[in-house]
Amino acid sequence: MTMLAEPNEQVELAAKPELPSDRRTTKLKVSKLAKAPWSGLFVLFLAIVISAIYSGFSSGFPTSWVPNITTWFNSLANWITIHQNTAPFFVHFLTPIGNWLGNSVNALTNLLNWLSWPGVIAVFAGTAVLAGKWRVGIFVVIAMIYFGVIGLWSASMSTLALMSVAVLISVVLGVPLGIAAASSRVVEEAIRPVLDLMQMLPAYAYLVPIVLLFGIGNSGGIIATVIYAIAPVIRLTMLGIHSVPYETVEAGKSFGSDRWQLLRKVQLPLALKPIVLGINQVIMMALSVVVIASLVGTGGLGDPILQALNIVDVGDALTAGVAIVLMAMILDRIVSAVAENVGRNVSTKGQRVLISPRNLRILVGGLVIAAILLGHLIGGGGTFPSGLSLSLSNPVNTFLSFLQRHLYHFSSIPIVGGTSNLSSFTTLEILNPLTRILGDIPWWLAIFGTGVIGYLVAGWRRAVLVCVGVAAIGVLGMWTDASVTLAQVLVALVMCVAIGIPLGICAYWWPPLEKVLRPILDILQTMPAFVYLIPVVLFFSVGNMAGVAASFVYALAPAVRLTNLGLRQIKVDMIEAGNSFGATRFQMLRKVELPAARSTIILAVNQTIMLVLAEVIVAGLVGAGGLGYDVVVGLGRDEFGLGLSAGLAIVVLGIVFDRLTQGRPAGRRG
Amino acid sequence: MSIKSSRVLRLKRLVRWGGAVATGTVLLAACGSSSSSSSSATTVPKPTITLVTNSWEGSLANNVVAQYVIEKDLHYPVKLLDLAEIPAWPATAAGSVSAVLEVWGHYNHYQTYVVGNHEVINAGLEGPTGNIGWYIPTYLLKAHPELATWQGVKADWKLFVTPQTAPQGEFLDGAPSYVTNDAALVSTLGINLKVVYAGSEAAQLSQIETAYKAKKPIIFYWYTPQYFNHVYSFSQVALPPFTQACAKLPAAQIDCAYPPYYLYKIMNSKLPTTAPAVAKFIQAFNWTSADQNSVSYDMAVNKLSGAAAAAKFVNSHQSLVQSWLNGSPTPKKAPVLGT
Repeated sequence: MTMLAEPNEQVELAAKPELPSDRRTTKLKVSKLAKAPWSGLFVLFLAIVISAIYSGFSSGFPTSWVPNITTWFNSLANWITIHQNTAPFFVHFLTPIGNWLGNSVNALTNLLNWLSWPGVIAVFAGTAVLAGKWRVGIFVVIAMIYFGVIGLWSASMSTLALMSVAVLISVVLGVPLGIAAASSRVVEEAIRPVLDLMQMLPAYAYLVPIVLLFGIGNSGGIIATVIYAIAPVIRLTMLGIHSVPYETVEAGKSFGSDRWQLLRKVQLPLALKPIVLGINQVIMMALSVVVIASLVGTGGLGDPILQALNIVDVGDALTAGVAIVLMAMILDRIVSAVAENVGRNVSTKGQRVLISPRNLRILVGGLVIAAILLGHLIGGGGTFPSGLSLSLSNPVNTFLSFLQRHLYHFSSIPIVGGTSNLSSFTTLEILNPLTRILGDIPWWLAIFGTGVIGYLVAGWRRAVLVCVGVAAIGVLGMWTDASVTLAQVLVALVMCVAIGIPLGICAYWWPPLEKVLRPILDILQTMPAFVYLIPVVLFFSVGNMAGVAASFVYALAPAVRLTNLGLRQIKVDMIEAGNSFGATRFQMLRKVELPAARSTIILAVNQTIMLVLAEVIVAGLVGAGGLGYDVVVGLGRDEFGLGLSAGLAIVVLGIVFDRLTQGRPAGRRG
Repeated sequence: MSIKSSRVLRLKRLVRWGGAVATGTVLLAACGSSSSSSSSATTVPKPTITLVTNSWEGSLANNVVAQYVIEKDLHYPVKLLDLAEIPAWPATAAGSVSAVLEVWGHYNHYQTYVVGNHEVINAGLEGPTGNIGWYIPTYLLKAHPELATWQGVKADWKLFVTPQTAPQGEFLDGAPSYVTNDAALVSTLGINLKVVYAGSEAAQLSQIETAYKAKKPIIFYWYTPQYFNHVYSFSQVALPPFTQACAKLPAAQIDCAYPPYYLYKIMNSKLPTTAPAVAKFIQAFNWTSADQNSVSYDMAVNKLSGAAAAAKFVNSHQSLVQSWLNGSPTPKKAPVLGT
């Protein structure tokens, strides 16, 4: 479990290359304000005032300014429906691509079945062992036996095949795209917003057109997965190549390497580590859409979760959810192990070996063949014997109803009351009023206010960008629903920060806590949200508080992790200096440690918001309404336009928040 | 430089190894697939029948029983596919899905695919009539007999006040893919309730369960056939009767009960030629709400596997199963506007 966390932390940091080291932060500097070019802001102000007067100072976004975007999207979907089997572009181009992808997944599934369950376990564990990671090998064996024991071996193999192909395609497309973006400013600028869009647009919003264009099952599922998951590998390849030291590239050039040689022999090998981090991140994101992919018929581990939801069986859902978490860990660890082995210096290798590498290879090869033979001897079409089926269903459900009985009702906990009380309080006193206030803010004031904040924290170019963003939410016709979602996002964010940052500090003070937290945070982040959809309703009732709770669970991890990481990265001499002045622990925290870790903590806030926004859909599934519900309705009731508009509004909210919390941009990216 | 070059070397080695492994596995796969195809060549290849399982348990109950009979008696391989309702239509049209055994309404899709391009065939009625409406727990009706009708709900709205909807009462709606007029109904009938959309059936069921265990008042959108009605006892609230005139009103002005849903089956238009026996079976397949609920109940509550629940049902309903295998197609009824 611990290994999973390490690359994640680095990715979270690395994924934000624009973030400044320490200087350019969001702290407001009064002296700077005095010198600021007020003219830009004044023009902005004027534009907003004029449009406000023009609209007669209406409080809701003027409906006459909302073009019929939803209808346009709907007619596009209708057009596709009518032409899906006739238009040459669909029939001779998209459909074959879909079929080819679907067939390659099927072929891989067949191969895995042919290997049989002992064979698959041997191949995966053997790979880890060959990469020099015995412990990973043992973990793989245990995790894969779990797939079999819970009776989901073949479902796991379909998911494994789908994930492998999706990750492979993401790498094959993503690395060259990242290289292209790294070598050309134009490509980079063009690609960035597209990556934001792909990463933040909920997959729910585009499932229907994907099914129409590529078909259901693995064909459509793989396209949806790749769209959602490809961004990190592009971003990190770009980052990796950018981070190759200038001198190294120059040295390569001076030896007379041409561009291709330079890329192949210098830049790519040196950028290997970030690229591998990118691949790991792709794996995590791909596995987070397994359940959604099941809605378009990919089968696999998403199916038992969907079926468990139909009969409100949290235990069954959890059983399959754990399998998804384990699958993520297996792939993550094997990719890391192999990459580490490639990147390792030869001279430090070969110390203290029991078996020579050559013999080890022969041994592993032999074991794999023996395992395959064994699998075929056992028979059963390569799947795990069903007699061993184990289910967590009963104990989990019993435990959950025990918890609900004792935590939910008024008298459960002294003074505070039960979770139902907590939920009513938050809904009545915080969420409902906040939603009302946000909904009542006149649209022109909202745009202007966001602009001013944007100007203060991030400069006036960003201010214009966020103003356009807020206006775009209105133009998409999502003003009211966005205010419902925004209230929940803010409350969830405050909760994550209020609990996550102190937890991160405690874990820094007392390292054993960190060891305990790590696996928990990993599980919270990889566990499909569909699994805890029922528990949040059991404890907080259908409504906006359930949505907030689900978002909190999912988005807590980066707040804790990044705070902890930021504190741990502080240079020893700084702390020594503080100690020599005789600072107490709290003085130390306030005056030395927190300021030094500020940029990482701001990044923690940024990442938390992104994860809360990613969870808006799940909030929609537990009755929180807002944009998430619109997206869910879009898929459920064939209102593609509504779903896509709401999805785009989520993306815009994400971009606005991201730009506001990223701080002042470095020179050229302003 | 030395570190770097060794890295390059190792990268190269990895690529070479990877290539060798990939070639090996492809060869193995080729052997595997050729051997399996040669063995299956001796028997007549039959297409796999794909049935869609939607997001309610009854849909799974239909499918496990159909799968059992098709595999046992007609000897076609059957695959059950979890799929959302909307994608199920283009998939059935394209042939990647063979049939859907329970369709609720979907007038628009019916017009596109059945009436319009004939890629989907109406395979007749399934048997149960879907009954959508307003429901309350029976313990609540016993305590407040006036809640049997909407007028009673209108008078007693205060019973249903929750923090989410305060100062109004709460009306709990369910999965977003199901047709609801509840927001229109509370406004046209002048009832002081606010509709809360649970967003998913799982969330709605959890909420109902919580209220039920605590014997609290709750009013919600619900339907039959549903196995949950056998786990808990619900009673329907009478709404103004459904009329054709009311169905033609704009969505926001609807002021009458939901129309009856004659649940029907659809299949791909090529199925009668590619798998005639299966097409015949699907057209003849029909049973009652009670039949469906008993199978759902066995799976959801008694935790039987799909195959075991199906076997139990088939063994105790031999003559019904025979009528599916030898009988005539069930009558057809197209979905009406507004469903």
